[in-house]
Amino acid sequence: MEYFQSLRTRTGNLFLESLLVVALVIVLFPFMWIFVTSLKPPDLVAVPNVWIFEISGVNWRSVLLESNIPQNIFNSLIVGIVTVVIALAVGCPAAYSFSRFKSTAATRFSILAAEMMPPAIMILPIFLLLYQLSLIDTLWGVILAHLTFVIPVVTWFLIGFFDEVPRELEDQAMIDGCTHFQAFYKVILPVVRPGLAAAAIFGFVLSWNDMFYALILTGGESKTLPVAIAGFWTFRGVEMGKMAVAILIAIVPVLIVSFFVQKHLVRGLGGGAVKF
Amino acid sequence: MRKPDLPLQYRLMVPLAVVLLAVMAYPLVFSAWISLHDYRLTRLADVQFRGWDNYLGLIENQQFWTAITNTMTFVVGAVSMEFVLGFALALLLHRVRRFQNFYRAILLSPMFITPIAVGLMFRFLLNIQLGVVPHYLNKIGIHVDWFGVDLALFSLMLIDTWQWTPFMLLMLLAGLESLPKAPFEAARVDGASAWLIFRRITLPMMRPVILVALIIRGLDAFKVFEYVYAITRGGPGDSTETILFHIYKVGFRFFRMGEAASMAYVLIVITLIIVTTLYWSMNRR
Amino acid sequence: MKSFVKGAQVLALATAVSIGWASAGTAGSLNVIMEEVPDFDIVTKMTKQFEAANPGITVTFDAMPYDAMRDKILTSSLASKATYDVIIIDNPWMDEFSRAGYLAPLDDLIKSSAGYDFNDFVGPLREIGEVDGKIYGVPYYNYALGLIVRQDIFDAKGINVPTTLEGYVKTVKDLTGGGMYGAAMQPQRGYKIYEEWKNWLHATGGDLMDASGNVIINNAAAVKALEMYIDAYQTAAPKGSLNWGFDEALQAMATGQAATMLSYNWMLPTLNNPNGPAGKLAGKFKLYEVPGGEAVLGAWHWGIPRNASAKDDAWKFISWITSKAVDKERVIMGGAPIRISVINDPEVWEKGAGKSYFNTVLGILEDAKPLSSGDHAEELIEIVGTELSAAVSGQKTPHEALDDAAKGVMAANKK
Repeated sequence: MEYFQSLRTRTGNLFLESLLVVALVIVLFPFMWIFVTSLKPPDLVAVPNVWIFEISGVNWRSVLLESNIPQNIFNSLIVGIVTVVIALAVGCPAAYSFSRFKSTAATRFSILAAEMMPPAIMILPIFLLLYQLSLIDTLWGVILAHLTFVIPVVTWFLIGFFDEVPRELEDQAMIDGCTHFQAFYKVILPVVRPGLAAAAIFGFVLSWNDMFYALILTGGESKTLPVAIAGFWTFRGVEMGKMAVAILIAIVPVLIVSFFVQKHLVRGLGGGAVKF
Repeated sequence: MRKPDLPLQYRLMVPLAVVLLAVMAYPLVFSAWISLHDYRLTRLADVQFRGWDNYLGLIENQQFWTAITNTMTFVVGAVSMEFVLGFALALLLHRVRRFQNFYRAILLSPMFITPIAVGLMFRFLLNIQLGVVPHYLNKIGIHVDWFGVDLALFSLMLIDTWQWTPFMLLMLLAGLESLPKAPFEAARVDGASAWLIFRRITLPMMRPVILVALIIRGLDAFKVFEYVYAITRGGPGDSTETILFHIYKVGFRFFRMGEAASMAYVLIVITLIIVTTLYWSMNRR
Repeated sequence: MKSFVKGAQVLALATAVSIGWASAGTAGSLNVIMEEVPDFDIVTKMTKQFEAANPGITVTFDAMPYDAMRDKILTSSLASKATYDVIIIDNPWMDEFSRAGYLAPLDDLIKSSAGYDFNDFVGPLREIGEVDGKIYGVPYYNYALGLIVRQDIFDAKGINVPTTLEGYVKTVKDLTGGGMYGAAMQPQRGYKIYEEWKNWLHATGGDLMDASGNVIINNAAAVKALEMYIDAYQTAAPKGSLNWGFDEALQAMATGQAATMLSYNWMLPTLNNPNGPAGKLAGKFKLYEVPGGEAVLGAWHWGIPRNASAKDDAWKFISWITSKAVDKERVIMGGAPIRISVINDPEVWEKGAGKSYFNTVLGILEDAKPLSSGDHAEELIEIVGTELSAAVSGQKTPHEALDDAAKGVMAANKK
């Protein structure tokens, strides 16, 4: 009986895993396709059924050596990181306050409501404002714009993380002579570190993916990656080969990072952000 | 040293309040002002006060309502597919322990690609003459016109599902991993079937997580722009015109900012109503 | 936490350094906004000569995708001091931008430039740059449409390339079959379908508005043009190509799936380039005038913003890049032609795509009509392009679609 049961779970698990493999294939297929496309010579890019061909380095060479893509990736990184750092810096204390002092579900909810402002409504005033400050075509402009949607989400996540931390922790610290602020800063913050990481990664992804603001607010040297990728789509056609290279360059570092952080991401979010 | 007058509760909020005021309050107020005027970027010397005219004009603006309907359909369709698939995958990943890191890293990866690239990628993958997917579907006798009138919006939902199911997966998996073990063991000892356990224990305990995941993803899906921009430009006809694309067009292609701003405010009200209803209805049970 | 704060400080410093560049122009430097297309690559290469000849001036290009340009130019124009000293203007923006007061008139500058020969620019191109009796733009390059065909297929079947619309529809139907489609069309909603269909409209004698400004987009000629277009789409275009734009149509041609397409005249050299997208098919393509002979003319113009600070230097650059000698060199390098003298230059034929190509281009340009004009040109394209798409996809009948288009155009003109 024992034996059969374990056999059943084993075949069951095999079945479940095969489902996962199907999902894996669906996710990976487009990646494989862009990888193949990036190696195709220009006349084969649009031919669907060719998988064997003479590998051409044209696309890689022109993107790596002749384009601004490395600069654009750097810009996107800077924007994402700075945005997230600012969001954490202002979001952390506020989230702690929301979590520890009286706050109704409605006030928490209002934080999230800030996230749903349509970008279309924000963009023109931000644009004119940045113009006054001569920050158009600088990364500061995009950072400013990205703060509008990164801060609410990050803060909202953080509230959940703080909720999970037992109050006894800071009570104990305060008995030991800390002020309340010190207790927050020295005791609570280190405890929620996985949560901070999860929120940070999440905010970073939001910023990294945005094209709407960056399209209008950046230009020249300050272009972010999504804008640059859109740039391969010219009036003379989509340069799919080069774009494939750009996508790959952009995705590989993120994939590697995500491999290392996903555990924290799951654990961090599990630590309470996903609850009201 | 003088003791600060403000209680800690509020002092902690000052940075957030200052930054949010700086980046959001001004744009929102200014947009509200614009929405009450005939504010055209090409005629800034001659901005007329219009009162509620921009808003009243929307009532009869067929395109605007089409865009709203399309967007709602998109949000409901895409988010439900993402939820079902995401939940299924989360349950799978929760069970399967082998190669877990590997599976997770791959399955989460689509959400890290910038949507414009995803849009352009699928535009060619699904292209009926030039794309790989229709090419092999044809071979097994399936002919699907992905971007025709009937399917275009659905195809955009599929693309959204490809990219954002990972988000649902992430949230729901995190929720599953943090559930207490005890109720499950007790149920198993009592001999409850897997389905019963899922319905009676997993689902109720996951409700808050589900709510959060749905709300965040839903709000984000309302902002769909890149896929439309990259693939259909709103067509065929009006069938994939979404609201953000429409507002962008009126505001930044036709330069009628007043009208665009009024649309954006109506959109805010609509989303607010939906989200609050969802929130209260799910929280009350 | 300490390390976090420290990290943040280092980061802030690093970013302050890396973000700190300013975009404002300094004396002696020209800021030019450009669209990222091959014509731009040619201009950048040539500009080195300009900088060598004018040591006091450095030219900085800000290249971007088409969709970002309109906003960028607009905002530069709203400011008290322009970001850009030289801009390029798309044909539908010309009337709107000049009437909004964004552009500086160029008449005096043109007059003061000896040997510039403004009248050497092809007439219809020149006229787009003239608004209310003043010149606001000089041509940069054209994107007039022509009929590109697979000459080898026509030769093998012994048929002539049609010159009338009726003939064209019949021919593309005949050519369809056996894995080959008669026409790769671009019925994507908005700009693309409008740009293509307007050639058909010209061929049946229709237009958006008549000479006195009445909207005639729903008259009998227009309905006929749309019915024929739908007929051709349903019988001779690749199945399921409703969202196709220019890229897909081009690739269908390049991969040998279609026998004809309406496209920009300068696509021919690209298709005939053995290292280009067509590969082995290169050399088999030929350019003709669009059926009916009246092509849709798109054009980019150089212009100087009214609020630009270095207007004289800006004109120095524009007049240099569009001068006869430099323009000849630009066209030889593959730029789209704008000057009659250059198009008729045997040296250009020899080093470029050949005499017959340039003769056809001149034929196309000479009686081409602008894509769209007026203060609402951009919106009209969108309105009509949406209705056309609704008709081709079967959501509306041609009559309904064009009546709605007419209503939309009238409403937009009133706004």
